[in-house]
Amino acid sequence: MKFNIEDLPVLFPYPRIYPEQYAYMCDLKRTLDAGGHCVLEMPSGTGKTVSLLSLIVAYQQYYPEHRKLIYCSRTMSEIEKALAELKALMKYRADQLGEEEEFRGLGLTSRKNLCLHPSVKKEKSGAIVDARCRSLTAGFVKEKKERGEDVDFCVYHDNLDLLEPHSLVPNGVFTFDGILKYGEKHKQCPYFTARRMMPFCNVIIYSYHYLLDPKIAERVSKELSKDCIVVFDEAHNIDNVCIESLSIDLTEDSLRKATRGANNLERKITEMRSSDAEKLQNEYAKLVEGLRDADEAREEDAFMANPALPDDLLQEAVPGNIRRAEHFVAFLKRFVEYLKTRMKVLHVISETPPSFLQHLKDLTFIEKKPLRFCAERLTSLVRTLELTNIEDYQPLQEVATFATLAATYDKGFLLILEPYESDTATVPNPILHFTCLDAAIAIKPVFDRFSSVIITSGTISPLEMYPKMLGFTTVVQESYSMTLARRSFLPMIVTRGSDQSAISSGFQIRNEPGVVRNYGTLLLEFSRLTPDGVVVFFPSYLYMESIISMWQGMGTLDEVWKYKLILVETPDSQETSLALETYRTACCNGRGAILLCVARGKVSEGIDFDHHYGRTVLCIGVPFQYTESRILKARLEFLRETYRIRENDFLSFDAMRHAAQCLGRVLRGKDDYGIMVLADRRFQKKRTQLPKWINQALLDSDTSLSTDMATASAKKFLRTMAQPFSERDQAGVSTWDSKDLERHKEKMEQEKIRELRNGGGKMEVDGVDGVDGHVNGQNGMNDDFEDEDMDALMRDVDAD
Amino acid sequence: MSRAPVRNGAAPRRPGDEDDICPVCKSSRYLNPSMRFLVNPECYHKMCESCVDRIFSHGPAPCPVAGCARTLRKARFRRQTFEDLHIEREVDIRRRVAGVFNKREEEFESLRDWNNYLEEVENLTWNLLQGVEVKETEKKLDAYRRQNEAEIKQNAALESQEIADSEAQFAAQKEQARLRREAARNEELDERREKEEGRREIIDMMAKGDGDADAIARESQKVILKKSTARRTAAEKSRQQAAAKVDNGAAAAPLFSIQGLKRIPQSVPEKEYDPFGGYAIKPAYYYLRDHYEHSWLDNARSDAQITAGGYDVGEYCARAIMEASGGLGVFIEDEIEGREKRVEKEVGTASAAIASGGGGEGVDGDVL
Repeated sequence: MKFNIEDLPVLFPYPRIYPEQYAYMCDLKRTLDAGGHCVLEMPSGTGKTVSLLSLIVAYQQYYPEHRKLIYCSRTMSEIEKALAELKALMKYRADQLGEEEEFRGLGLTSRKNLCLHPSVKKEKSGAIVDARCRSLTAGFVKEKKERGEDVDFCVYHDNLDLLEPHSLVPNGVFTFDGILKYGEKHKQCPYFTARRMMPFCNVIIYSYHYLLDPKIAERVSKELSKDCIVVFDEAHNIDNVCIESLSIDLTEDSLRKATRGANNLERKITEMRSSDAEKLQNEYAKLVEGLRDADEAREEDAFMANPALPDDLLQEAVPGNIRRAEHFVAFLKRFVEYLKTRMKVLHVISETPPSFLQHLKDLTFIEKKPLRFCAERLTSLVRTLELTNIEDYQPLQEVATFATLAATYDKGFLLILEPYESDTATVPNPILHFTCLDAAIAIKPVFDRFSSVIITSGTISPLEMYPKMLGFTTVVQESYSMTLARRSFLPMIVTRGSDQSAISSGFQIRNEPGVVRNYGTLLLEFSRLTPDGVVVFFPSYLYMESIISMWQGMGTLDEVWKYKLILVETPDSQETSLALETYRTACCNGRGAILLCVARGKVSEGIDFDHHYGRTVLCIGVPFQYTESRILKARLEFLRETYRIRENDFLSFDAMRHAAQCLGRVLRGKDDYGIMVLADRRFQKKRTQLPKWINQALLDSDTSLSTDMATASAKKFLRTMAQPFSERDQAGVSTWDSKDLERHKEKMEQEKIRELRNGGGKMEVDGVDGVDGHVNGQNGMNDDFEDEDMDALMRDVDAD
Repeated sequence: MSRAPVRNGAAPRRPGDEDDICPVCKSSRYLNPSMRFLVNPECYHKMCESCVDRIFSHGPAPCPVAGCARTLRKARFRRQTFEDLHIEREVDIRRRVAGVFNKREEEFESLRDWNNYLEEVENLTWNLLQGVEVKETEKKLDAYRRQNEAEIKQNAALESQEIADSEAQFAAQKEQARLRREAARNEELDERREKEEGRREIIDMMAKGDGDADAIARESQKVILKKSTARRTAAEKSRQQAAAKVDNGAAAAPLFSIQGLKRIPQSVPEKEYDPFGGYAIKPAYYYLRDHYEHSWLDNARSDAQITAGGYDVGEYCARAIMEASGGLGVFIEDEIEGREKRVEKEVGTASAAIASGGGGEGVDGDVL
């Protein structure tokens, strides 16, 4: 369908549109016009991606700036979905406009997913694929080949050099499958095609990490211009992604490997000194000059980049005492040895980077400045030595990254040394955590660089938390409710068991038999009444295991077994995917199944239980984080000190966003229906922290229930859902065709006019100009307003 | 807090250390669980504590490790900090070098010079480490130390000052963080207590009982809300004040030091004004003795009538001799040639001569 938002014509690839989609698009357009950032929460299953794409593509094509869209999502499957959606949209546009537009849309993912090389693509691990690919495609391989040496190379990659660099692929949208097929047909490497075409694409779809992780971002996303529109979809976890991208963990093992790597480097340097000293000399000369070879730095096969962020990019020359290769390797060795010494301590240490640096200097005479240049110097050295088996140097690189980060940032980071794995362990297994506490550090360059950043997700409440934590300001901040023709999902808060005692996963009572039995009854009741699939979420693996074993002892599981097949998620991803597979089959064929999983596990993020795959979702206990973790404690303290967010507020916010995420798994569209049960006493108070669309549907009568009341209410709900429901019933209420949309627009305009008239002094003449015609037309209808001054002003405007 | 344990690094028992064997006495950790190893920075050979006691208690002795034979003293044995003894040695050498070459970046004109200097020093250290041209390098090091003794001392002082400053700053920050944490905890406790009180009040009011229960509840809820917001704003305010105070305190405290300032060269104290511009009148053709034997001077020396007026015999002698040798070294011919140029100067000296001559004559007259 086709419609206008203000002056912008939008082509929407479906005949009907949801009201919230329309509102979402309007707000998006406002954000883009204003050129600021926004946070938007849109219920899951209401077509967020397609509304986003269709509006932004329309925006791109209509306005002369042709702002590029960078769409970031979380998982491979979501990226693929978005690509397919984009492809369908472009097809629809071509049909409607009668011509193919000059448009390119590409997705980028790891080499492992995009490799065509016959032997490399058979490798299982991503790291090995990366390494082997680099050894075939690095710049010096080509040089050697030109010199006539006998080297292995990749035909697919080399073929790219024969093509024109700005049109490696024709116009159009390529899904991953599509580009693989195209690559196979034309014998060109899909990965490098995507990488090299990025500056020439209208839409780029890739993972968060390509933009957030400074180690990758500098290489991949460097050339994107400032007016790009950046979208983070499924962004409710974005703060954790930011933090992870700047945190490093070092173990004794990795330090040992780092030493080995340093020794290897030393050997390589000696070899090179005797065989090809000129190269080292050239590198040295370059470092003395302080010139960074721009082309080389941007080369795609550079195996690592500086972890410091673009703002802090070190523009100066490398310090003199690590200029020579030998000196630098000795320097690294000394640093690693120092870290080893520190690892020997048998009690927990937490200290700030400045104090770490001071101690480092006292002990080993390593200054802060050369430390900052560590990562960069290592990159340069590796390039000079033409190393290909880079995975050997991974631990060394990690150490160098750590060095650079520790020397660059004074605030927002903490070093935590944990000598024992757990409190009860007696054999030391030290881990040095270098944790980032401030999510704003990693994402800051994104906000600084791009004028419009859109953060959106199905569950991103409370909205004001994100701007606070990530340190940006929004122009639009909106949460949409779900328009429904019938009540198609039933959220409930169960606080008591059938015996009227409170249920909770709180630490004190979680293992009491009464509580466990009550949870068991709840599960039993719902497995009895729910058709098809039931998904149950627990706060942690540990708790899930203990409760399952207790249920087994009580005989609860034997009862449940009569109604449903029981499947369990485990930390192992292959086992889990097998369980999921079986679950799906069971839902399709038999009486259905129960999937027991963890609120922070893989299942809760990104696996959809649409329709019969999930009719009930049970959230047993509030999914709080493990609060005894030192890293979490440090972060909480940091949040309190810096952003004035209280510990409890943050913990509760974090728990509720995960709970909401779990609940959202079950409802994936307007024709879907499901029951959402929050089973914990503490949910009663946290109700307001649920996303708006869930909270609105949660009636007061459905809170603070006991198990039997919940059962009764669920039965009633399922009975209404069983009534026939045709698409016609939805029309005009929860879905609009173009006529409905026109009507809505008219109504909005009238409302606007009324507002303008009543809004008195605040009115701007410009605003009235826009609706001039309507004012004329509707003056007769709105006779009843009294404001005389206003009236006079209106007439003046009309006269103009 | 975190440092002490590292330094006395109490080589804790670790799984890998079980098979440690002392290379000298061959006793192992299995037999002697409390065995500790020591090294001497002379040769960095590792041996256990009891060996050190046994061999070196009676004064210096050669290293027991075969082929070493350096003379070691017990006092210099110490625990090793790093697992790798090469690094241990390297750090010792670096400590020595860093004690001498402690120039600071501010002292250099450009970054490039600074980097070159750094590389130079690193090269020197490298030579010492690898044992290349040790003698020459040592010589260089020594020469530099002797040359720049004052500067080295000054820089060392600056550095220790900086370290002390930063340590004080860390301590202050830690203290502040602790205070803030405490404040936050107190605040939370207060809030909880207040809430509890409010609830009790409601119940009391309801128990006393006239009026609608709902109305009472609503009213009290409102009061509680108001109280809590008031408290929150107060807390916020006090926090801001505290922050402001901290800032001021930091500015005023001597602990505070600004980093990255260029050092301004200290101004040299001004010399006393010298009207002759450094020209000293020293006799060129004679020298003065303290005492001149002359019979008629003796009288002037001892006669109170003469000395009471301030008459000084030394003065008289000096002038007399000066006048006697006044013309020596003056060549008239030369003077005439340069007369035109030196007219003014001549006048100056002439008038001075007249003045002094006049004075002298007066004195003479008195005496004679």
